[in-house]
Amino acid sequence: MKIFLTAGICLVMVLVSLSGCVQQGKSIKNPNTIVNYTIGDPKTLDPADAYDSASIDIINQIYDRLVMYKGGDTSTFYPALAINWTVSNDSKVWTFHLRKGVKFSNGNPFTAEDVKYSFDRVLIMNSPESGVAWILSQCMDLNSTKVLDNYTVQITLTQPYGGFLALIAFSVASIVDKETVEAHGGVVANTTNEWMKEHAVGTGPYKLDHWTHKTEVVLVKNEYYWGGWEGKHVDRVVIKIAEEAATRILALKNGDADFAYIPLANVEDVKGAEGISYSIGPSYNVVLGILNTKSDNKFMADKNVRKALSYAFNYDSAIKDAYNGYLTRLPGAIPKGMPYYDTQNSGTPVYNYNLTKAEEILDAAGYTKNDDGYRFNGTTFRIFYNAGNEERQKMALSFQQELTKIGVVSSVTSEGWPQLLHRMFSTTDWDFIFMGWMPDYNDPDDYIYPFIGSADIGGDTFNHGWKNETVDQLILKAKYSADPEVRRDAYEKAFQIYINDPPIIFIGQNMQVHFQRDWVQGYVYNPVVEFYYYDYYKAYE
Amino acid sequence: MKTWEYIVRRLLLLIPVLLGVTVITFVVSHVIPADPAMAFAGGPKAQPETIARIRAELHLDKPLIIQYFYYLNDLIHFNLGKSYLENRPVTECISQYFPATFELTIFAMLITVPLGIVGGIISAIKRDKPIDHVTRFIAIVGYSLPIFWLALMLQYLFAYQLPVFPLEGRLPIGVSSPPSFTGLYVLDSLLSGDLVKCGQAIYHLIMPAFTLGFATLALILRMTRSSMLETLGMDYIRTARAKGLPERDVVYKHALRNALIPTVTVVGLQFGALLAGAVLTETIFNWPGMGRFAASAVLALDFNSVMGFTIVVALIYVIANLIVDLLYGILDPRVRLE
Repeated sequence: MKIFLTAGICLVMVLVSLSGCVQQGKSIKNPNTIVNYTIGDPKTLDPADAYDSASIDIINQIYDRLVMYKGGDTSTFYPALAINWTVSNDSKVWTFHLRKGVKFSNGNPFTAEDVKYSFDRVLIMNSPESGVAWILSQCMDLNSTKVLDNYTVQITLTQPYGGFLALIAFSVASIVDKETVEAHGGVVANTTNEWMKEHAVGTGPYKLDHWTHKTEVVLVKNEYYWGGWEGKHVDRVVIKIAEEAATRILALKNGDADFAYIPLANVEDVKGAEGISYSIGPSYNVVLGILNTKSDNKFMADKNVRKALSYAFNYDSAIKDAYNGYLTRLPGAIPKGMPYYDTQNSGTPVYNYNLTKAEEILDAAGYTKNDDGYRFNGTTFRIFYNAGNEERQKMALSFQQELTKIGVVSSVTSEGWPQLLHRMFSTTDWDFIFMGWMPDYNDPDDYIYPFIGSADIGGDTFNHGWKNETVDQLILKAKYSADPEVRRDAYEKAFQIYINDPPIIFIGQNMQVHFQRDWVQGYVYNPVVEFYYYDYYKAYE
Repeated sequence: MKTWEYIVRRLLLLIPVLLGVTVITFVVSHVIPADPAMAFAGGPKAQPETIARIRAELHLDKPLIIQYFYYLNDLIHFNLGKSYLENRPVTECISQYFPATFELTIFAMLITVPLGIVGGIISAIKRDKPIDHVTRFIAIVGYSLPIFWLALMLQYLFAYQLPVFPLEGRLPIGVSSPPSFTGLYVLDSLLSGDLVKCGQAIYHLIMPAFTLGFATLALILRMTRSSMLETLGMDYIRTARAKGLPERDVVYKHALRNALIPTVTVVGLQFGALLAGAVLTETIFNWPGMGRFAASAVLALDFNSVMGFTIVVALIYVIANLIVDLLYGILDPRVRLE
């Protein structure tokens, strides 16, 4: 027995001493490769049918658009495949002058034909698997794109659209090589191109080396990249898919990973670790509480009830307890950082946690407490969230407690995502569901139209059933105008109406906590395009 | 009955077993009120035509019984449908994930079965000696340690503090998989003559295989030990010893064969269970195997993937049981068919 005990002690001593020897020095692991440990396998590499962030992240490295974002700037569109552009006075006709001498990663030259082919392909294919084609089809059709010469294209919109440049900066507007696509199945209406799902030939800085599903995507530099390879860049990019947070954390700590996705719950485990730096920035992801105006609980149709619920929500608790401080208040549908954010009460939330005010509103509306201390004759307000989402679970339980304090009976239920969607879109037996939203493109229309616009104009994405014709008109007016003053005025007026009859509790805007090894240089957070690996390199500076 | 007749009969029995499995799985996975079509189409952002297309593809707009017959029809044509979670055919998913799990299981078994049997025998022979205590302690630890904790501790010690083993995955970061003949990286890299990749694949297998096999090791240790102790106390062993046979012959020729029967049963069933995938080990070591695939498919209500997985697992169990039954005959002539 003593022998085993001695051997065990020796082993522990060896391990401890060796661990001391392997302290991180100033050497850089894989100096010419960026490794990003993240979650989610891409669904496709075809930009015409990609709508998930994992796919879009890869597509953004392989393909270019006509215009692009740079660094952390979300308000300016920079030349990419287009070097400059003009727009007609009525904001309908856009003319793009294209960059010359650009080649695809297979050596084929890029011309205006590729631009027309790419946009028309999106419209003809109609994204059968993802539905992403709506982003272009809302203001373009097959007659929109005309080739004026080899390096000039003209796009005539079906109607003026204020956020048009934001649309064509999105991955769906990536330019594909006509010759390559035609050689591999071409374009068939409403049909997926299976080859394009797994292969990619673009003009972007990187090209696909290999993709092992659920394991990794490896990109290598595109020798033909028009931006050139002088300066500091890495030759390879590896996007590792690791679903377990503990694995990603260890990978970042031991230097296997240069970037790693760290959930908010684990932020404190990584902060301050040797060799790891972090930055915080406001993302465009928002947290919402959807109020069902067509619930079978008829009280929900009354705007006073929804206003009272908005006052009863404990926003500070959501920020501190659920999101560990990584959430900021959201005054309305438009997140901070986007144009026209200040049209929402100058960015100051109208509703703050105030139970007294909530009770006053309910009392004034006639929803007084009965002898047992309950309002609405004890009717239960049903709160739901998707199972596994810890932040929403905490918010739901906190909301339930606050409602109890003002005499409102409530229940909290978690359901799997497909079940929750069924409840939300196929039943009326829910009153409140926590939801979130990520940006498609950098324009407030991507938020206010689906959140506040009614089903009649193609909005009401969350099926809350709220409708106001004046607001609908204002939203459409802003959507189809390129005049900033017209848009500002419309958004301001719409806000004043919907915030006093709220279909949504605007809870907050997520903060992005980005972790990386301190040897990575060049990373700047951009809420629209999270990673652009061409800008990064590895060095101690 | 001849052995081959027995095998054919058992294989024919697969048909009703699989039918039963498909009925139960189909009903259980479809009775929950849910909208997987909308989830796959992108949730609230989904476009109505995309949802409608997926509903039509999955026949969700038809009565359950009709949906089942559509499914059976596809199954007869060896079409397991499309995994909406992964956006590719289920057969493609399984052909990637099953070999990964199979390779991991084989290595786990290669580590645990010899260790478990030898440890169990020694423990039984040296009953109540220090080595018996150590073996029993290992067995208890193996039983009681949560597998995720063991996996995390191994990772922390041997991939972070003392970086001697890779943290995760089947191959080093950025290394492409070998040309696929079998999907088993060790074998495929050998077949393609890439010894470096073969070494890398084996190196990556050690920690997850050990983790996966540790609980099984405990089971085999205990089973072999108790079975050996029981056998060693039998009359015919006493007779063998009385005849003056060397102890080695008594143990290995007379006792072991009989004692191994329950162990073989356990090994067979464990093999089947491990082939169904080990969600925790696969998740922590980022091993793209069947367990992870099944778990995410169930959570997302990816019907086709769930059904495909269930059928494969049912097949594995039936075949594993058949092999175990045939091994009985080899170990013990009394249970042979002829």
